[in-house]
Amino acid sequence: MLALDVRNLTKVYPNFQLRDVSFQLEKGYIMGFIGANGAGKTTTIKSILNMLHLDGGEVRILGKNMAEHELELKQEIGFAFGGIDFYTRSKMKTLTDVMKRFYTHWNDDTYYSYLSRFKLDENKKIVELSTGMRVKYSLALALSHGAKLLILDEPTSGLDPVARDDLLDIFQELVVDGEISILFSTHITSDLEKCADFITFIENGRIIHSSEKEEFKESYRLLNGSEDQLNQVKDRLISFKKNSFGFTGLIRSQDFDPSSGIKAATPSLEEIMIYFAKMEAAHV
Amino acid sequence: MYNLLMKDLKLGVNPMFLVMPLLMGALMLVPGWIYFIVVMYFFWITIPNIFAQFRAQNDLLFTTMMPVTKPDMVKARMSVIVILEILHIGTAMIYGLFTIRLYPDLTYYFFAPHLGFWGLCFIMVAIFNLFLFPMYYKTAYKYGPAQMTAIAAAVVFAVIAQWVGIQSSYVSDLFNGSGADNAAIQTSILAAGIVIFVASTWIAYRISVARFQRVEIQ
Repeated sequence: MLALDVRNLTKVYPNFQLRDVSFQLEKGYIMGFIGANGAGKTTTIKSILNMLHLDGGEVRILGKNMAEHELELKQEIGFAFGGIDFYTRSKMKTLTDVMKRFYTHWNDDTYYSYLSRFKLDENKKIVELSTGMRVKYSLALALSHGAKLLILDEPTSGLDPVARDDLLDIFQELVVDGEISILFSTHITSDLEKCADFITFIENGRIIHSSEKEEFKESYRLLNGSEDQLNQVKDRLISFKKNSFGFTGLIRSQDFDPSSGIKAATPSLEEIMIYFAKMEAAHV
Repeated sequence: MYNLLMKDLKLGVNPMFLVMPLLMGALMLVPGWIYFIVVMYFFWITIPNIFAQFRAQNDLLFTTMMPVTKPDMVKARMSVIVILEILHIGTAMIYGLFTIRLYPDLTYYFFAPHLGFWGLCFIMVAIFNLFLFPMYYKTAYKYGPAQMTAIAAAVVFAVIAQWVGIQSSYVSDLFNGSGADNAAIQTSILAAGIVIFVASTWIAYRISVARFQRVEIQ
C-alpha cells in the first residue's frame, strides 16, 4: 500500500514553478527528499499538505485524496517544519494540552513514554529547547496522535552530528513495524546515506529521479579522466568540472560505455546533487 | 471550533486583555466625557496587540497544521474578538450605571451613558468588524492596513453621530433629554444597535471565509 502518492503536481509562481512532480512512498519506508535550497522541497511539502492552491495534480495519502479528506487525513499525518516554532514562550505542557484536544486518537501514555525516551521535560518552555529537542518534541506530538505518515521538512538541519545520528536512529526504529512511513526533506545528503530507503531528487521544481537508494546511485557514474577522454563523452555528460589532471563528470549509467577506458565510480548522493545543480546553472 | 477558541484563549490572548475591560471601563467614571472613546480604547490597544501576538507566534502555520477547517479558523478567531468586544461594552455599561448615579445633576454636552448610547456603540463596533475582518483575511497576517481602515471607519461614525447629537435638538433630546427617561425608546435603540452588530459581524464572517479560502499558507 502506498503511504503517499504524489501525481503530477504543478504550481506556477511568477519566478518559480513546480512542474509535474510525481513520486510514491510505500508504507513502512523512509524516503529522503533532496534538493538544493530553493529547488522546491518546501513548496512540494506544502502542496502535499494542501496549504497551497495547486495548478494541477493530485495527492493521495494512505489511499485517500488529500484535497477531499483533509481533516480526516490530518489526524493521521504528523508534520514538522524544522522544529516547533510556535508559541515559544509557552511551556511544552501548555502547548500539548491545547494540541491534544484536536486529535481523536491522542494517547497520553504514548506521549509520556516518548517524552521520557527523548529526555524532554514538559515544564520547559519551547524557547529553552535546543534545535534537536524541538524536532524530538514535534515527533513526540506526531507519534502520540497515532500518525502513520510523518512529513518532516528539514528536521536535521541545524543539528550537531550526534543529535543528527540520534534522530536518524529514531527514524529507523519508527519504521521497523511497517506501520509508519517517513518523508523527510534535507540538503544534508549524508543523512540519507545513513537511513533512507528511497530517494527523491528535486532540482529547479522538477523531479530528476525517484527510486530505491542504491538503484538511484547506481543509475549514475562519476567519471574521472584526461582532457582527451573528456572530448569523447562531453555530449553525454550531465555536467563536468575541469581540473589540472583532466576532468570529473557525472553521466547516466546507460549513456556510459565501460569499454571506453575512462575511470568510473559510483557517485555519492552529494556528488549527484552538485553535478545536477551545475547543469541547471549552465542552462540558465 | 471550541478547541480552536480555547487555543486562542489559552495561548494567543494574554490574560491581561481579559482584565483590560475592567480598567478601561473605569474611564466611564470621568464625568461628561466623550464616552465613545472608552469603547475605542479597545481598537487602539487590545486589537493591535492581539493580532501582533498571533503573527509573532506564527499562529497561522501552527493552526493550519492541525486537523481544522478554514471556516472554523475564521469563526474561532472572530468569536474571540467578539467576546472581547462584548466584554468591553458590557463592563463599560455597568460603569455607566454608576456614572449616572454618581453625577445626577451633570449637564451632558456629549452623549450620556443611557441605554440608547450603547446601541450607538454596538453600531460603531459593527462598522469596525465589517472593515477589520474581511481586509485582514485577504492575507491572514497583514493586520496593519485592516486595522487602520477599521479604526478610521469607526471614528468617522462616532464623530458624525456625536456631531449630530450636538447639532440636532431632536437627536440631543432623544439621547440626553426627555428621551433618556423613556425606557421603550432607549431599549429599542440598543436593540437596533445589537441587531446591526450581529448582522454586520455575520456578513464580515462570510466575506472573511471566502477570502481566507483563497489564501495560501506561507
